[in-house]
Amino acid sequence: MTKKDRVHVAVIGAGRIGKIHVENLLKIPTVDVKYIVDIRVEEVEKWSKDVKVEKIISDAETAIKDPVVDAVVICSPTDTHADLIIKAARAGKDIFCEKPIDRDLKKIKEALKEVEDSGVKLQIGFNRRFDHNFWKIKKLIEEKKIGDVHIVNITSRDPEPPSLEYVKSSGGIFADMTIHDFDMARYLTESEVKEVYAVGSVLIDPKIGEVGDYDTAVSVLKFENGAICTIDNSRKSVYGYDQRVEVFGTKGSAQAYNDRPTNVVLSTTDGVCMDKPLYFFLERYKESFMTEMREFVDCVREDKSPLVTGNDGLQAMAIAMAANKSALEKRPVKIEEVTT
Amino acid sequence: MKRKMNFGVIGLGRLGKIHTLNLLKIRDVRVKSVADPRMEEIKRWAKGLEITEFVCDWHRIIEDPEIDAVVIASPTVFHAEMIRAAVENGKNVFVEKPLSHNLSSAKELLNFLEDSPVKVQVAFNRRFDHNYRRVHDAILSGKIGKPYLIRSTIRDPQLPPLEFVEKSGGIFFDFFIHEFDNIRFITSSEVEEVYAGGNALWDERIGEAGDYDTAFAVLKMREGTLCVIDSSRRAVYGYDQRMEIFGSKGRVLILNDRDTNVETRNENCVRYDNPKHDFQHRYADSFAAEIRDFVDCLINDKTPSVGPKDGYKAMLIAEAATQSAKKIERSKLNIREISHPSRDERNCNKN
Repeated sequence: MTKKDRVHVAVIGAGRIGKIHVENLLKIPTVDVKYIVDIRVEEVEKWSKDVKVEKIISDAETAIKDPVVDAVVICSPTDTHADLIIKAARAGKDIFCEKPIDRDLKKIKEALKEVEDSGVKLQIGFNRRFDHNFWKIKKLIEEKKIGDVHIVNITSRDPEPPSLEYVKSSGGIFADMTIHDFDMARYLTESEVKEVYAVGSVLIDPKIGEVGDYDTAVSVLKFENGAICTIDNSRKSVYGYDQRVEVFGTKGSAQAYNDRPTNVVLSTTDGVCMDKPLYFFLERYKESFMTEMREFVDCVREDKSPLVTGNDGLQAMAIAMAANKSALEKRPVKIEEVTT
Repeated sequence: MKRKMNFGVIGLGRLGKIHTLNLLKIRDVRVKSVADPRMEEIKRWAKGLEITEFVCDWHRIIEDPEIDAVVIASPTVFHAEMIRAAVENGKNVFVEKPLSHNLSSAKELLNFLEDSPVKVQVAFNRRFDHNYRRVHDAILSGKIGKPYLIRSTIRDPQLPPLEFVEKSGGIFFDFFIHEFDNIRFITSSEVEEVYAGGNALWDERIGEAGDYDTAFAVLKMREGTLCVIDSSRRAVYGYDQRMEIFGSKGRVLILNDRDTNVETRNENCVRYDNPKHDFQHRYADSFAAEIRDFVDCLINDKTPSVGPKDGYKAMLIAEAATQSAKKIERSKLNIREISHPSRDERNCNKN
């Protein structure tokens, strides 16, 4: 493929994350957003009144088959991802797809096969890899500043539980929420997971338990290189979105704290007080959504390989499935048990 | 005027020395006698200290009618025998953790101590640490609501000598046991399930000895609270001891204590002191506080806040962790179901 001057994009699905991607794409001067595809055409039209989008349509095929379109950004519901990837790959379009690719490993593999056969690029929306804090830790690891990685600790807590409707169709806390942390763990250890242990509790809302999910969970990953990763998750943190990572190795440790709206410290007779962490992922990871999209457009323009691949999407989902199984069967589960 | 309490200290290793020095600072206490087979060394160390007599044989302390209480800081294998002998002679006992070297002897000891009028305190010093105590009180008063998650990091500055590792009973009995007790203390709750594991990433000889230098344990508490402990036998930047409790109303976080609070900046970065280097420094105040509390229990006839039952329960959790890590899998690892294999049986299983 030759270098492209301008990139023409179709964004499929204009939910919360789709809108963010559209806004970010429009900030990149070399990008045209050719299509937004969404069944709620009128609603999207209203939202997009002031943005420079050429067409808002309800049919994905039209956008995918349009020869002008270079790349598609898939942020429709999860159960449509695999089919859309296959169609886009067959039409020779480069693809950005939100996580997870699918909840069925077989379907993920089929989609990835099509991507490989057609030679198009596929980037998965693990935006946290592009977060300034975690990016810095990754650089420190690459520069051998921490030495060999022995332990990775990840804390990931949401400010509010999602709606019960959402929980029911989410595939469970491990596939929906922890999946980002599973990817982070692979990214930082630079190794593959051998075995997963996961345990969950229902402490926040019994209704979450009634639909078969957990609202509080701990996962432990054992990696092929010997590293150990522990992850703790909660669906409700009263003080805001808590996102921290620590990597411990032979030469020391690196820790990323939360970002806050301001750095102001108020000291009174009651103690010392600081701002809470930024409220939720839209605030906390704002910059990383922009960076991942910029990175994707660069890959399309410069014919480079994406930093987050389809295999990364597959591996994270496999870990999530092993975690589900582990929590259910109350035992450690080897990755082969879910991948073969 | 009240007469002074006469103490005997058995075993003058690192901790025996710490306890002796702390006892000597207490007005109501006299250190009458210390026992250790390394007499010459101990006498040299004790120059200038107000210790009345040095004996080689610990029985002399236990049989001394003047002695009110003994501190047992000998190697763990002797704990059970010494406690029993001391109690039979009516001595009050302050014993180092772990309570005993295996579960069956700890259990026997527990039965023996039931209805005994003497006071027995187990040295879980972290319960007396300013940070952990504050967190314990914060949880009791409901400041962070119902605990959901606990995260604990415990890392030593230096690998222990290999001979120590071989005799230690494993990382869960030797190292994690403090944290197992701490979590019971802080949550005022009991452990229901344990999952643990580890690797030898620093020194493969530790792995060959059947132990780990990098390990974790996940505990599920009775009320569903999930705890995760991560540990390393070596951290190049010092003794790393942190704990976070996350609950329905917020969270509390214990950071490391440092020698100073000085912040230095240069063109490269902002720098703080490393954590205090080792447990003697990090937990110095707690060692003084725990023994003072024990003396207070003797003087005012109170029951020690950390008793043999606590010592035994921490061992149960350590045993469950050891079994879990050794892949003795069960559908649900319930610490109440654990059999009580002796140390020797465990070693046989390993080979």
